[in-house]
Amino acid sequence: MAKPIDLLQGTLDMLILKAVSLGPLHGYGVLLRIQQISKDRLEIQQGSLYPALYRLEHQGWIASEWGESENKRKAKYYRLTAAGKRRFQAETEKWNRMADMIAGILNTTPEEV
Amino acid sequence: MTLWSRMHSWVRTILQRSRVESEMDTELRFHMEARAEDLIRSGVPCVVALRRARLEFGGVESAKEECREASGASFIENLLQDIRFGSRILRKSPGFTAVAVLTLAVGIGASAAVFSLVNAILLKPLPYPDSNRIVLPELVSPPGVSLGSEYFPWGQSQFRMLTRDAHPFQTVAAFQNDSFNLTGSGEPVFLDGFRASAEFFPSLGISPALGRAFAADEDQPGHEYEVIISDRLWRERFGADRNILGRAVELNGYAYTVVGVMPEGFAFPRAEEMPSSFNFPAEPQLWVPLAIPAEPKPGPSELALIGRLKPGVTIAQAQAAMDLITKHAEAQDHRWIGWFNTRVVPLQRQVVGDTRHPLQLMLGAVCIVLLIACSNVANLLLTRSLARRREFTLRAALGAGRARLIRQLLTESLLIALAAGAAGILIANAGIYFVKMLGPANLPRLREVTLDLPVLAFALGVSLVTGVLFGLAPAIGAARENLVDSLREGSQRSGGGRMTPRLRNALLVSQVALALVLVVSAGLLTRTFFRLLGADGGFNAERVLTFQLPLPALKYAEQNQIVTLFQNMLERLRAIPGVQSAGIGETVPMSGEGESTVIRIPDHPAASLKETPFANFTVISPGFFAAVGTPLLRGRDFQETDTTDAMPVAIVNKAMERKYWPNEGALGKQVGPGSTRFPLLTIVGIVPDVKHTSLREESAPEMYVLYNQKPWPSMLNMHVALRTKADPAGITEGVRDAVHGIDPDLPLAKVATLTTLVDDSMAQPRFSVFLLGSFGILALLLASIGMYGVISYSVLQRTQEIGIRIALGAQRRMVFGMVLGQGARLTGLGIAIGIVAALGVTRVMASFLYGVRPTDPLTFAAVSLLLLGIVLLACYLPARRAMRVDPMVALKYE
Repeated sequence: MAKPIDLLQGTLDMLILKAVSLGPLHGYGVLLRIQQISKDRLEIQQGSLYPALYRLEHQGWIASEWGESENKRKAKYYRLTAAGKRRFQAETEKWNRMADMIAGILNTTPEEV
Repeated sequence: MTLWSRMHSWVRTILQRSRVESEMDTELRFHMEARAEDLIRSGVPCVVALRRARLEFGGVESAKEECREASGASFIENLLQDIRFGSRILRKSPGFTAVAVLTLAVGIGASAAVFSLVNAILLKPLPYPDSNRIVLPELVSPPGVSLGSEYFPWGQSQFRMLTRDAHPFQTVAAFQNDSFNLTGSGEPVFLDGFRASAEFFPSLGISPALGRAFAADEDQPGHEYEVIISDRLWRERFGADRNILGRAVELNGYAYTVVGVMPEGFAFPRAEEMPSSFNFPAEPQLWVPLAIPAEPKPGPSELALIGRLKPGVTIAQAQAAMDLITKHAEAQDHRWIGWFNTRVVPLQRQVVGDTRHPLQLMLGAVCIVLLIACSNVANLLLTRSLARRREFTLRAALGAGRARLIRQLLTESLLIALAAGAAGILIANAGIYFVKMLGPANLPRLREVTLDLPVLAFALGVSLVTGVLFGLAPAIGAARENLVDSLREGSQRSGGGRMTPRLRNALLVSQVALALVLVVSAGLLTRTFFRLLGADGGFNAERVLTFQLPLPALKYAEQNQIVTLFQNMLERLRAIPGVQSAGIGETVPMSGEGESTVIRIPDHPAASLKETPFANFTVISPGFFAAVGTPLLRGRDFQETDTTDAMPVAIVNKAMERKYWPNEGALGKQVGPGSTRFPLLTIVGIVPDVKHTSLREESAPEMYVLYNQKPWPSMLNMHVALRTKADPAGITEGVRDAVHGIDPDLPLAKVATLTTLVDDSMAQPRFSVFLLGSFGILALLLASIGMYGVISYSVLQRTQEIGIRIALGAQRRMVFGMVLGQGARLTGLGIAIGIVAALGVTRVMASFLYGVRPTDPLTFAAVSLLLLGIVLLACYLPARRAMRVDPMVALKYE
């Protein structure tokens, strides 16, 4: 297994939005979902997950409500709001443009300069 | 959407703090337990699974804090925390807190009380609808002509001219005061009232609470027998009977029909609201129609006017319109030239009158008290923040930011300020009570002074501003602290860097300077007050009883009836045991201004209008001067031999002699009323200037004539003065019986001793002295507390140093002198600065002073010494403590 990569600054928010865009999740679920999607290649500080969730909720991108977990326990579920959805799309586009651009710069060969 | 969610989370944070907290706990616990279950599933032993889950999670508390911050809770959280922490700190040192809160509460309370006065008298609009449109058209003296008063009354024909031409006014009304003898229902009672034209009530915009105002046709000669009564009269005399409308009452012998009852509190115009030269009654009780004929005959000018401007008309426009009327009148008849000068004065300004300046003085004084209180508390906080240096250093070392530290200190200051504000409101309430009780009766609108919303808002505002003001200095001082230095100095008690002692000393010096300014002002006023007490009023007030004797005009229509009445009355009054002398006069000293009229002096015929001679024309009886204690300077007094048929004689005052016969003397000269219909009088005596309104007044020329020598003015409203051998109060009943023995229907009005009248005239200066004196004492007290605090702290700080000095052989007396010297140096500097400032301030006060110069060296020297003495007294205790420092203990201290 490859050594897990540390999360890039600011990307945790996007990952959370992606995770909850697939369906409502509780905090631990968000963690598992991200790890699952990234095939365990991303290392997420569990302690930093919740401040991010609270921040996103405060900003109105996600909303929360109490529900019941798989093992019949009380848990707080987060889901994407309409505003969050728009935000997520905008962020995704921005990220893709950025990634393309950076990849383009990094792949430049000396002959192309 | 996002804004809403943000608000939502803030509201949740504030209102549902504990729920949010417990939900956060539940959520995080769920996370860790779920993780632990997963770990168990992957083979980790049960016992260590939960522990590992926790370890993986990291710092739970810091995550929670970050969560709170992320959800916008941190600002409010911090504030609540600051407040909790601040109040805990304050509770922990109750002595400090009590002194700080009390000091500030006194400052805030005093300023709120003064503000309540300013608010009620200067700021609040008058209690009439659209009161800014109500004006008083006033007639002013021709330029250069001194009538003793700026204003003089309007004539009836002038009023008619105004009502015909006065376009700026929606309504304009005339009124004049009158006295009414209410008979018929019970004991006869003498009432002050007004004759007012029909537009009087509409001009004020006030209608009777019961019944109606005068109709225009009632304001006609022959139809004027209608009366509107005050709420007070209605309650006191008529038992608040709602069926009073239409009932007939007997006034001065005529039957009047009651048509209205005014609302509670209405009593326009009160004496203190109008120019004092009008000599209006303190509180009118009834109003009857004035009934000026359409074509008035020439007669005495006795009217005052009031008008309501049309909407949108400014004072300047009204004045321009009035000037046009003046020009018109002067063009029509040259006799008006110079005698129709008008001034349109807003009612509000007239009511405020001369009280603006004393109030501003009080406001200034109370601001000084507040400043001293503020700098005192700032010093206390500063001193304390030095003692708390280790705490601040520790908190800074643990990661508290500079801003956070300042915020913490400011929160503490504001807590103190708000507590002081609350206590201050209680003090202000007590202050208002005292002011209403002790305030002079002629202070306008005093009854409207209350602790109302604007005053509360003012107190709150002052608390907040002062809280920031005195909190800022220590907060910045604390934030400037260099962490490393503080840690290094750590255990040492020396302290405060170089900044803070300088700041503390500056605060102390300014306190002393401010206190000096205030106490010097109070001192000057006090000296003025005593100068006034000792001033020569031209009379001797001891053991003199006075009363007013208004005669019913119907019964005493002929002058010789009045003369007979007075002769009989004087005879009877003089026969009362205990009466030393008795006299009758148009005015008695300090009972109000006399009437100024045009006179004629054959020796000096007036060349121009400006030189027209004037004098107060006062009718008296023989024995009057003896009764009020006015000595005769030269010539002779009126005698019983000066009968109706004898040579007409007059006595003049010194001011009159000085003005009209400056070189040759007035004795033997001739003088008479302005109209040649009256005979000339020969001056037989000179008396000193008798003061009429206040002991500080500038005396006007006055001439006295005999009541039985066919004097020109009316004698329907005379005063009686009785000099007694013992306490004048004892003979009141005898006097009443004597008067009623002649005519049982005669009312005795305003029975008072002359001392009371003098006392009343001193009410305003006494009030000023009382207020400013209290502020001065407060200032002294606060300044000495401040000095005590700072010096004792510096002694405490220097214990070690003093111990070493003593150990090295310093005399204890020298140590004592050193500490005292420190206080004396600061005080000396403060006094020097204060004297310079006071010289500037007292110059503005010149108009409040009498018989003492604003730069009075005695006051300045006495106050400086007093201040130095009190401050040194405050230093005495700490200095003694310093002297007794035990070197062993001091050195072991560390």
